[in-house]
Amino acid sequence: MRKVIGTLLAIALVTGVALVANRPGPAGAQGGGTIEATVTYAGAPVVEKLKVNKDTEKCGTEAVIEKVVVGANKGLANAVVSVPSAKGGAPKTVKNVVDQHGCKFVPHVSAMMPGEMDLKNSDDILHNIHTYSTANPSINKAQPKFKKVMAEKFEKPEFIKLTCDVHSWMLGWVAVMPNPFFGVTDASGNAKIENVPPGKYAVEAWHETLGKQTKEVEVKAGQSTKVAIEMKK
Amino acid sequence: MRAPLLAAVALVLATPAVVGAQAGDANAGKAVYQLKCIGCHGEKGDGKGPAAELLMPKPRDFTTGIYKIRTTANKVPSDQDLFRIITDGMPGTSMPSWAVLPDRDRWNLVAYIKAFAADKFKEAPKKVELPKEVGSSTESIKRGKEMFEAIECNKCHGTEGRADGPSRPELKDEWGQPIPPANLTKPWTFRGGPTRTEIATRLAAGVLGTPMPTFIDSVEKPEDIWHLTNFILSLGPESPGYATLVTVTAVSDAIPDDPNADFWKKLTPNNIPLMGQVIQDPRNFNPSIDLVSVRAVYNDKEIAFHLTWDDPTQSAEDAGKKLYADGISLQFPPQPSSGPERPYFLMGDSSDAVYLLRWENGKGVTEATANGPTKIAAIQGAEAAGKAVYANGQYRLIMRRPLVSKSEARPTFTPAVFMPVAFQAWDGGAGEGGTKMSLTSWYYLRLEEPQSSRRFVIPPVVAILTLAVMLLVVRIANRRV
Repeated sequence: MRKVIGTLLAIALVTGVALVANRPGPAGAQGGGTIEATVTYAGAPVVEKLKVNKDTEKCGTEAVIEKVVVGANKGLANAVVSVPSAKGGAPKTVKNVVDQHGCKFVPHVSAMMPGEMDLKNSDDILHNIHTYSTANPSINKAQPKFKKVMAEKFEKPEFIKLTCDVHSWMLGWVAVMPNPFFGVTDASGNAKIENVPPGKYAVEAWHETLGKQTKEVEVKAGQSTKVAIEMKK
Repeated sequence: MRAPLLAAVALVLATPAVVGAQAGDANAGKAVYQLKCIGCHGEKGDGKGPAAELLMPKPRDFTTGIYKIRTTANKVPSDQDLFRIITDGMPGTSMPSWAVLPDRDRWNLVAYIKAFAADKFKEAPKKVELPKEVGSSTESIKRGKEMFEAIECNKCHGTEGRADGPSRPELKDEWGQPIPPANLTKPWTFRGGPTRTEIATRLAAGVLGTPMPTFIDSVEKPEDIWHLTNFILSLGPESPGYATLVTVTAVSDAIPDDPNADFWKKLTPNNIPLMGQVIQDPRNFNPSIDLVSVRAVYNDKEIAFHLTWDDPTQSAEDAGKKLYADGISLQFPPQPSSGPERPYFLMGDSSDAVYLLRWENGKGVTEATANGPTKIAAIQGAEAAGKAVYANGQYRLIMRRPLVSKSEARPTFTPAVFMPVAFQAWDGGAGEGGTKMSLTSWYYLRLEEPQSSRRFVIPPVVAILTLAVMLLVVRIANRRV
């Protein structure tokens, strides 16, 4: 009996802490609203498979390249939802981290504000970070097994493609966004953008193969606005 | 009178008189470009000239401003970098040296090709900082090998540097074209040059537009760049030292069967360069095999050829996958001719056949008569045998045969006679087969005369006799007095 109470108490405590942590910061206090975006795609998922001929103990014997991931209710994962025209907002304090794990970029799509990010190599084999970008200088740096973390700077907003020439199937994207109002959709296609100053905006959804779609929304102070964006081929 | 004088003065003033050698004139460069460069690099500088289709690697697309060989830490090459490549060319590619052009023309070309991507050259080039140079030594090479393994250069360049790493088939350049890694055992084919500083600079700054990354921040200590350089230079000879004659060494003992036997390592290789076959369709503009090292010996019964060549992929014939077998052949006239006449070097023709001593992966050593590259007939009753091994991107093969043949289809090898020989090679993994091959024209092969013991006996006997005669003369002369 005592154990059960203890467990319940612990859960309550953790939830409480989590609630406090999620509470809107200063921007919320100024009366921002929330955008709850759902990105959908009616088409079929696109998954490419490739036989792996090296580093199989780290990479596995089959590489799965998930180009279009569609979840429940046509929800599209790995889409970047943003409000490019919104002004202000506190800069994100959490550093963006992409790990090269199992010969994959994890997460496949990440978003950040201009600045520094960490590229981790937890595979214990050689990878090379080879980026394709136009606004930022593209980089091609070796990251041998003993180089666990490399910090890279991306100063200008754009969608940057990450590749590795050693393992040609590895593919990732880093979205460098001009303001803190962005999110990456989860497996069900949902992304939440908080503390958006009230106003009318075009919400933009970007996907690596399906391109961009926008939708007008009106954000009201202290309220949550739902927006559904359908991606088309 | 005054007007032309004024005009002349104005012209002199307007011309940037003897500014630094580096200030080129893009307009003057355009004229040179249209004469010399347009065929490959195209009128718009996009690398799509009429010849581009046949070239591998593809000509540079100047509109991107991406240059492989640079001594800068950022993406922009220095003017000197561009000038150097125009002047020296790029080994192993179709880019020749343009040292024949006057300096001024080459500087003008630099200005003109920069103009194709003017916005990319707004940033000033920043020279790459190399760590303090470390000379080559046994310890340095050892450290370089450790680092080579730790940073996994082998993934692309192969365990022994022969461009046979597991990632080789996946490598693509910035434009999506397949790009092979460098064969580190052949520094004379390094695109950016074979000197220590050049290699260290490639390691530090990477090769832009290719999978080769920068390593300056990715080695344990900055000076590892030099240890790696020293190790890379220890992987192969400085130059191929091409042979002009294939010498067959006389031996008295039995000839070993194993291509890896020490016996072969002691012999000096005769390095023969191979070219693509571009006479008969389908032609081979980008041959895979560019060098074969020949070691040959004979004894009183047989002759043996030990051939070494690099091939990044070991492949046997597979009709389903459209793969050909790797192969190599030695070509001789079937019978010695008294005059200078030789059969047509491209596997003979309908009137004059050639004899082929060949090896194919999966089939072994065979003999054939050819009347052209598509008319090859096997010779019945094989006399030849052999053995091949493949490891780390290299074949080593022995083909052996009796010295004397009674058959008219086969030549007999005679010491001290110059005998025509030619070579052909196929890399099946690169899609080579049939007329798509690397080849040579005729070379000469000569069997060394057997070493008899007479050369150790006759000179001392002559010396002693001469001395005796001299002493005799002296004695006679003394008596007369």
